[in-house]
Amino acid sequence: MARADSLAKLAWAYGLHLARRRVRRPGPQLGQLLETYSPDGIRAITPAERGGHPRLVTCINCGLCALAAGRIGTTRLPDLASSYMRLYARIGEASSDVAGDVPDLAAASAVCPVGLPLDEVAAVVRRMTMR
Amino acid sequence: MVVIGGGVTGAGIARDLSLRGVSVLLLEKGDWGAGTSGASSWMIHGGPRYLEYDWDTTRLSCIDAGHIVTIARNLVYRVVFIIPVLPHDRNNIERMETAMEVYDRFQPLKKAHPHRRLTAEEARQAEPGLSPEVIGAVTMEEWGVDPHRLVFANVEDAVAHGARALNHTRVTELIRDGGKVIGVRHRGPDGATSEARARVVVNASGPWSPEVAAMAGAEVHLRPAKGIHIVYPHRISNFSISAESIDGRDLLMVAHAGFTLLGTTDDDFYGDLDSVDVLEDEVEYLLQAFERVFPSIRDYRPVRTTTGVRPTLFKWRRYEDELSRRYEVIDHSSTGADGFITIAGGKLSMYRLMAEETSDAVCSKLGVQVRSTTATQPLPGNESDVEPAAELASRCGVPALAVVKLQGRHGSNAEKVLDEGGASRILCRCEPVTEAELIFATRHEQVRTLADAFRRVGVAAGPCAGAACILRAAEVVGRELGWSASQRFDAAREFVRGAWLGRAPALPHAGWAQEELAQGAMRGLMLGER
Repeated sequence: MARADSLAKLAWAYGLHLARRRVRRPGPQLGQLLETYSPDGIRAITPAERGGHPRLVTCINCGLCALAAGRIGTTRLPDLASSYMRLYARIGEASSDVAGDVPDLAAASAVCPVGLPLDEVAAVVRRMTMR
Repeated sequence: MVVIGGGVTGAGIARDLSLRGVSVLLLEKGDWGAGTSGASSWMIHGGPRYLEYDWDTTRLSCIDAGHIVTIARNLVYRVVFIIPVLPHDRNNIERMETAMEVYDRFQPLKKAHPHRRLTAEEARQAEPGLSPEVIGAVTMEEWGVDPHRLVFANVEDAVAHGARALNHTRVTELIRDGGKVIGVRHRGPDGATSEARARVVVNASGPWSPEVAAMAGAEVHLRPAKGIHIVYPHRISNFSISAESIDGRDLLMVAHAGFTLLGTTDDDFYGDLDSVDVLEDEVEYLLQAFERVFPSIRDYRPVRTTTGVRPTLFKWRRYEDELSRRYEVIDHSSTGADGFITIAGGKLSMYRLMAEETSDAVCSKLGVQVRSTTATQPLPGNESDVEPAAELASRCGVPALAVVKLQGRHGSNAEKVLDEGGASRILCRCEPVTEAELIFATRHEQVRTLADAFRRVGVAAGPCAGAACILRAAEVVGRELGWSASQRFDAAREFVRGAWLGRAPALPHAGWAQEELAQGAMRGLMLGER
């Protein structure tokens, strides 16, 4: 009975929806969507970041890059790749961790056993931490 | 009274009753939230899916989700879904938007925003990884939650109000006096057996309910359903995404706080509840569905899988997906087990309501008149607002990201946790977790194994799956619990082995190379396991 009742109500709602769509078609809603969730740190990633993303999250936290190049801001390089790159929605609250000097990321990438491009990782993290 | 089962419902009952002044003993055979609660999709959601079957379940879920979001602010965060529509999907874009329009009526109950409709181009701007075949999308908002912390917050509050709560303590027997259940015998982690007398015993053991009920000579009919998730140690996308499976079910890729859950399956389960394995076929079923809407999904390396069994109420002649998520409070007095109550069925999103109704049944037996206050009384850590993460970080000398994560687990108690043991260094760098938090969890949060530590503070939950931190974690926990050096090594080895068993069925082709490297860093912990 609950199922029949539910389906009947959905059918009625569907009819109403189609009728409304004939009369009125709302405009683009992406801007509103991003604005609504901006305080929660939920935002779109760029097509370039998306394309490279699987490659940018392969860190196994071996620590070799830390030996080669040290820190970005106050953050150890392996942490940048294994932790900050996890795209936390609230990462903007940790922007102070990655602000400051940038080390020799090319040297760090050269010793990475999984071939992580740490310059790209740093760029993504810094963009995501901007609020 | 005694509550058997330390999942979210059992913990919720213990909290509810202890807040009403009832003397409570809560027993859990494993760790808090280690069963079905921990293997959930980590969401407090209303369940738009149930609109096809039972609007009342959606309404009740949304009302209770609203309460949970209020009392557990630090544990919840918004999860926003993009629901893409492809040609030939079961539901076209108009049907899908209709469902969301209906769901929008319930959204205010849980403090969520209404849906948006996106064109194909807008959907791909929001999430560039979507398939070019997507012809449009709608959005939907739910709440994410850490179920392990939610369970423990309930346990913690119950204990703060006078309850006793014992994990790793198995009920071996229900004590009967004629037609009445008058207590339990239980065996603790040290093997010692004890007895507890009670006027009421509540069976809140989820899928184990029939087994526990049988100890009282009572029957509980469930239709247990197995569900698995694949866990990726990153947010693959800032938006969560839904997909349609080959058999027309709705699957979810959920962007949580630093990781992604992809699931879930829903299959009748007849096996051993204490040994539920993930099958490669199940993994393939999920990946196949998501590959259609998010083609790069196979390029990501999962870090583990989770598996659990839902305690669904019994129903004959229904597909698993169509089974009701309703619950039932069963008083067994009419079947010769007076003083014994079972709570069966239900879902995480309405655990508080289930706990309240069960507690009402207990109170009517005990003659207690006090009403439940759990809908408004904040859980520990939510009594006041948290301070800005950067400020606390600078004062305590830890990274701001560590504070963000810590506040997610402990809310306004974060500073108290950071003060524990005078050890502010980062122990697990992927999460990140401080040594102080692990010490605090061991001293005050009943951590007895490294798996308990994983659940309580997220140690080894990141991309390295413990390669970089598990031995150090074993040192810290072992020091607090008095483990010998060999016990510490064995504990680390057992943890790594367990994590490996959960990861192996899900590793893709490229993941094996990383796995070899990661295991090389594990200093012999994996020897002989592969």
